[in-house]
Amino acid sequence: MKRRKPNRCKTILEAEAYVPADSDFRLKDNREEMVPDASFTVQSVWLDAAKGYVQKASAVIGLVFIILIGIMAAAGPGMNAYTYSEQYLSQKNFAPRVRVLENFGIFDGGEVLKTGAGTKVVNRYKEKNLENVYYWFGSDNFGRDIWTRTWLGTRVSLIIAVAATVIDMVIGMSYGLISGYFGGWVDMVMQRFLEIANGIPRLVVVTLLLMALEPGMLTVMLALMLTEWMGMSRIARAEMLKLKEQEFVLASRTLGAGCFFIIFREILPNIMGPIITQVMFSIPTAIFTEAFLSFAGLGIPVPQCSLGSLIAEGFNSFTAHPYQIIPPIAVMALLMLSFNLAADGLLKALDPKRKEV
Amino acid sequence: MAEEKEKILQIRDLDITIHTAAGSVHAIQGVDMDLIRGETAAIVGESGSGKSITMKAVMGILAGNASVKGSIEFCCYHEDGRREKVDILKQDKKWIRKHMNGKQIAMVFQDPMTSLDPTMSIGKQVMEGMIWHFKMPKKEAWNRGVRLLEEVGIDDAQKRMKQYPHQLSGGQKQRVAIAIALACNPELLICDEPTTALDVTIQARILELVQRIQKERGLSVIYITHDLGVVAKVADYVNVMYAGKIVEKGRADEIFFDPRHPYTWGLLSATPDMNGMDRRLDPIPGSPPDLLHECAGDAFSPRNPYALVIDDKMAPPMFQITDTHFAATWLLDPRAPKVEMPKELKARLNRMRKEAREYGSKL
Amino acid sequence: MKNYILKRILTSFFTLLAILLVLFLLMQLMPGSPFHDEKLNQDQRMVLYAKYGLDQPLIVQFFNYVKNMLKGDFGVSYSISKNTPISQLIQTRLPISIRIGGTAVFLGTVFGLVLGLIAAFRQDTIWDVLATVISVIGVSVPSYVFALVLSYTLGFKMGLFPMIFKEKQALISSVLPSIALSMFTTASIARFTRSEMAEVLGSDYMLFAESKGISGAALIFHHGFRNALIPVITVLAPLAADLMTGSLVVEKIFSIPGVGSLLVNAIQSNDYNVAIALCFLYSAMYIGLMLVVDILYVVIDPRIRLSRGEIHL
Repeated sequence: MKRRKPNRCKTILEAEAYVPADSDFRLKDNREEMVPDASFTVQSVWLDAAKGYVQKASAVIGLVFIILIGIMAAAGPGMNAYTYSEQYLSQKNFAPRVRVLENFGIFDGGEVLKTGAGTKVVNRYKEKNLENVYYWFGSDNFGRDIWTRTWLGTRVSLIIAVAATVIDMVIGMSYGLISGYFGGWVDMVMQRFLEIANGIPRLVVVTLLLMALEPGMLTVMLALMLTEWMGMSRIARAEMLKLKEQEFVLASRTLGAGCFFIIFREILPNIMGPIITQVMFSIPTAIFTEAFLSFAGLGIPVPQCSLGSLIAEGFNSFTAHPYQIIPPIAVMALLMLSFNLAADGLLKALDPKRKEV
Repeated sequence: MAEEKEKILQIRDLDITIHTAAGSVHAIQGVDMDLIRGETAAIVGESGSGKSITMKAVMGILAGNASVKGSIEFCCYHEDGRREKVDILKQDKKWIRKHMNGKQIAMVFQDPMTSLDPTMSIGKQVMEGMIWHFKMPKKEAWNRGVRLLEEVGIDDAQKRMKQYPHQLSGGQKQRVAIAIALACNPELLICDEPTTALDVTIQARILELVQRIQKERGLSVIYITHDLGVVAKVADYVNVMYAGKIVEKGRADEIFFDPRHPYTWGLLSATPDMNGMDRRLDPIPGSPPDLLHECAGDAFSPRNPYALVIDDKMAPPMFQITDTHFAATWLLDPRAPKVEMPKELKARLNRMRKEAREYGSKL
Repeated sequence: MKNYILKRILTSFFTLLAILLVLFLLMQLMPGSPFHDEKLNQDQRMVLYAKYGLDQPLIVQFFNYVKNMLKGDFGVSYSISKNTPISQLIQTRLPISIRIGGTAVFLGTVFGLVLGLIAAFRQDTIWDVLATVISVIGVSVPSYVFALVLSYTLGFKMGLFPMIFKEKQALISSVLPSIALSMFTTASIARFTRSEMAEVLGSDYMLFAESKGISGAALIFHHGFRNALIPVITVLAPLAADLMTGSLVVEKIFSIPGVGSLLVNAIQSNDYNVAIALCFLYSAMYIGLMLVVDILYVVIDPRIRLSRGEIHL
């Protein structure tokens, strides 16, 4: 039953001009139209959340950018003939050049260089007579295509971040749910352990791991896993404590459902909202951590690349060739911004109480 | 006698529009209300009928996005005995805070859990107003604070002064809130659903407390409530509000034993009977109208089983029934068909009247 | 309250002990540690063993180890600066890191509070939008990106500040790194302050205080700030601790001879002794900071002061 819209209303002005006639004074007898409200329960929580989300422009923009960057990370490296590791030492430090745009005086392969005698414009493509060579984002110090490397780095960063976060989610969620559900000494022991683990700074965990293991994608992921699951478990536990006293859980228990059935089949679906939100917030943290490790030279080994290692490479010559560092930095900043915006939108859509804040 | 019948508060043509992101809400539409010094008035209505907003306007604590028209005249006595009528709506916030809030008009909020500052000790909160308004020395304020707490029935007042809100029970917190409201000797106390958030057993005690203090101090009190049980217990005068308008007002006995507006019938039918004689409650169908979209005619008409055709075309004027009893419904027009209140309700009201006589309540 | 503080101190103590145990075990296993240097002959090794008490049972060794660590005797560097006591290495670097980190926390807190309060008091105005945009960007963009941007624009292009840290111009050279580091703190605190203050401003107790006649500064100071800012303390501690992580990279960008760059160096050149010492230092600082803030919070907030300690535990 849909809620009646006040469409029968006329404007106030019309009404004031109205002079009541005798015929108006009869009972309307509208018992038929009067129905108790039935409109409140029909709409699903998820639909409501989706609506709330779409209404928030920043969240939609965030999501669109995440999708765009995701597509580019998948397709970008294949869009030209260069590979991420191929080095053309004769074509190093070329400024960006794009086919059509070059006619407008931008992306034409020229760059301003500072020399002892002042500044001058250099176009290495012209100097070397390379008519048909185009590096869309330029080439790096070893003559590698920055376009290919940027999107490949994005892919690596995204994979590391998403994979680590998903594993974190599974570990943290299980930990929190079990700790919250069983309570008592189980909870007590698990929480003390969590407190101690939480007291170890992330940097220390990462350092110790890097000392013990070879640097690489797996080590970085392991480091992320070891540090990020705690937040997730805290949320899962809090939600569990809220839910476990509710009737539907009690009903399930009286019907003889086992602990794990209740935890994972009854309660888990009800806490997906906060969990997904937390995942969305964790991904940018993971991207950041990976990037900072790689930047410090502790992450992905060469010639592989991630956003962080690209930024680190660009940094070495960023005063001379700023175009080398701009693409990875821009993608990274955009990616983190988008995830934060999307997560923010999700948080507010799933938790409407916070809308007022 | 003229002295006794003096109006402490006189609201005329109060019109409040609240501007929100979703549009402008015409929350209060031409409300008139009077309160006689020393008496108790109740404003009754469903949530969203505009009860609280009206009283926030009286307190001058409306949010910045509200625009207000009309007048709210408050009659106050200065310390030298001079009498002055002030139109609260003509004063700026600063003036109202300095001269009205706390000293002349004080308010008790619905939920004592949230209306007390959680990080400030009870004593500080009780003393705050006195120190602020009267520049009272701390020691004196403390002593008065202790006496106030004792007055509202809190044991061990010295100890309680040093405690924090979370260490008190709900009922105690509401007592403290009342003590805070009384700290600067106001003339008018506004209680915004003061018992809704409390246990049933404590509700009655809080009402008794307010009644006792009212008698002792000669206060005028306005209750905002949706609970007709509260109204029956305490009110001299009742204003029934619906969708930002007063639809019926009169002395409490008139409203209870001779209600004329179908909405009032609905409210009375929907109130549980204390002795459980009624087998069923009759809820009012539907929910209050969305004030974002203004309607011509009577806002209650879509939910009114006794609606007339005219109700959809034109809003009813206020019909006078007795000197003090008014109702805004076309049923009172001489041209309207004669409609009686539902039989069940009538039987119930008769029973209530009998009971009231037995127990000697206000009615 | 006493119970709660006691519990927190115990937890901190056990955390530190757990970290020490891990470090100690790593120390025993690491191939690069001085005890496993193949250049040492048997006698030298015995001397070393005796010096560090390695001829004693493992548990005694552990206690000695803990004692040494707590005394600040971290052993010597193995490859970065051969045979220099690590405490000496740290001694010169720690003040620089702490100064820059401290400045960043200070700047971040001040700007964050100002920004958050402006946004809360001017809700839904251009100021609010501006503050929100700044805080979203600040939270999302890593500090070293800011460092690079600042270093390129203000340092390289305009030449206002040195791009590389110079010991002699310590003050002016720490401007850019401090600002870069403070961005995240600023943004987080602004965000948090705004939402806390907005909640407080819309709360019943503010309305109740107003209905008592309290207005202006007294209302904001007595009822507003206290309630809004107590929770801010809780986010400040993790933020300050996170600065340690951030400083690692920022120190590299500005070539600051701080603790962070020492750690990177140590890991890259497999100087385990130094890395482990720094891990201990970081942990101790982190745990200490958290403990102080937690206790501070409990002391300031009467709700926790009076309930958490009594009811729980």
